[in-house]
Amino acid sequence: MSIFDEELMQLKKTILRMGAMVENALKDSVRSLVERDNDLAKSVIEKDHQINALDVEIDEASIRMIALRQPCAGDLRFITTAMKITTDLERMGDLAVNIAERALELNEEPILKPYIDIPRMREIAQGMTRDALNAFVGRDQRLARDVIMRDDEVDDLKHEVLRELLFFMIQDPSTASRAMKISFVAQYLERFADHATNLAEMVVYLVAGKMIRHMELPAEDS
Amino acid sequence: MEVQVVADTTEIEVKGLDFYYSGDIHALKNISLSIKKNNVTALIGPSGCGKTTLLRCFNRMHDLYPHNKYAGEIIFQGSNLLSRETDLINLRSRIGMVFQKPIPFPMTIFDNIAYGLKLRGISKKSELAEKVEKALHHAALWDEVKDKIHASAYELSGGQQQRLVIARALAVEPEVLLFDEPTSALDPISTAKIEELAGILKNDITIIIVTHNMQQAARISDWTGFMMLGELIEFDKTDKIFTAPSEKLTEEYITGRFG
Repeated sequence: MSIFDEELMQLKKTILRMGAMVENALKDSVRSLVERDNDLAKSVIEKDHQINALDVEIDEASIRMIALRQPCAGDLRFITTAMKITTDLERMGDLAVNIAERALELNEEPILKPYIDIPRMREIAQGMTRDALNAFVGRDQRLARDVIMRDDEVDDLKHEVLRELLFFMIQDPSTASRAMKISFVAQYLERFADHATNLAEMVVYLVAGKMIRHMELPAEDS
Repeated sequence: MEVQVVADTTEIEVKGLDFYYSGDIHALKNISLSIKKNNVTALIGPSGCGKTTLLRCFNRMHDLYPHNKYAGEIIFQGSNLLSRETDLINLRSRIGMVFQKPIPFPMTIFDNIAYGLKLRGISKKSELAEKVEKALHHAALWDEVKDKIHASAYELSGGQQQRLVIARALAVEPEVLLFDEPTSALDPISTAKIEELAGILKNDITIIIVTHNMQQAARISDWTGFMMLGELIEFDKTDKIFTAPSEKLTEEYITGRFG
């Protein structure tokens, strides 16, 4: 294996490490809300700087490789994909922090209602993220496309949650503050899944050399 | 991405071209491609792949040695330039060539360029002067030599000499220029000047370039052909070749994972 191939491998490993941290941040942030665990929420917020550090590390490594190796074709697509993926992952980490912050606020007040759809949204968004990263590692275009399809489920659940919360607020205006915060959480989860979709779209570019962002999902190349 | 309006007219059409050195070494195998007018087409590939052999077919340089044999067609301006009837002197002024190492004639800068014009029957001094100046402007050399136009061409630097021979080729107003590794003997600054020149020249002529430097092919060409063992493996728009080539062999070669 050439030195360049080793550098590419290293880059891939760093992205996977960052992806695992983001997945954990999401899982813990929602758990801190559902289980009213303030310590867990705080740890999500504190650990975010590690994700940010990896974002910088991946960008720097990518820029260095572009300058020194002048990559093209598949290598170029891999490195540019890495740079875009890291931007999305960093934003996903921030969304987990936002959820943890809302959890800290909501945990101070009585429970409005049991959380059912929120953990469901978390589960789908986390699965999308994991599969998008698996598709990235395995250069699996089909799996990436599957991730993109799942985004609609999260969107539907968010609308469900918002409708329900609106009902609470109309019934009893004193729930408005809590309902607003929970609707923010639903919004963050929906955005999180959008970023996971971006990851999957970049994987399609990596594998097929085709940009499919901002368009209807086109047919897969054989 | 740089968006260019490029003409889509074919300048040269290569159809099923085979070429044999000394009658039996099969150096080009069934090559077909379209060279687009006012575009830069780059030919890349490992040593011995046939890219220079192909380049030299376009102005019949192989005819300098007996027993070399062409088969197939290269259509240029409506006729097959490989036919016996082709006037080679005329062909080589329509399709000029610039080599790896600049070879100025042992005469003044002015005479280097006037030489071909005189052969073409131009003798009027004012007309010669006008055409020499135009060619030097065209090759982006005028400003550097206008005060020493009657000095020996050997006084010029390597990069300037390369632009001088480009000016010499341009003076007879060719439709096509063939570049055979035109910058491999030049420093980066001179290389950048030649590359920039190619970008300007294509407004008026069609350029085909053979280069070992893949980054150069990526920088200056509109179309790229990748060759191996005498075959054209892939021919496509340059940005396609360097971002998402269709052939595995092309990918391996341009990413340096060859063999």
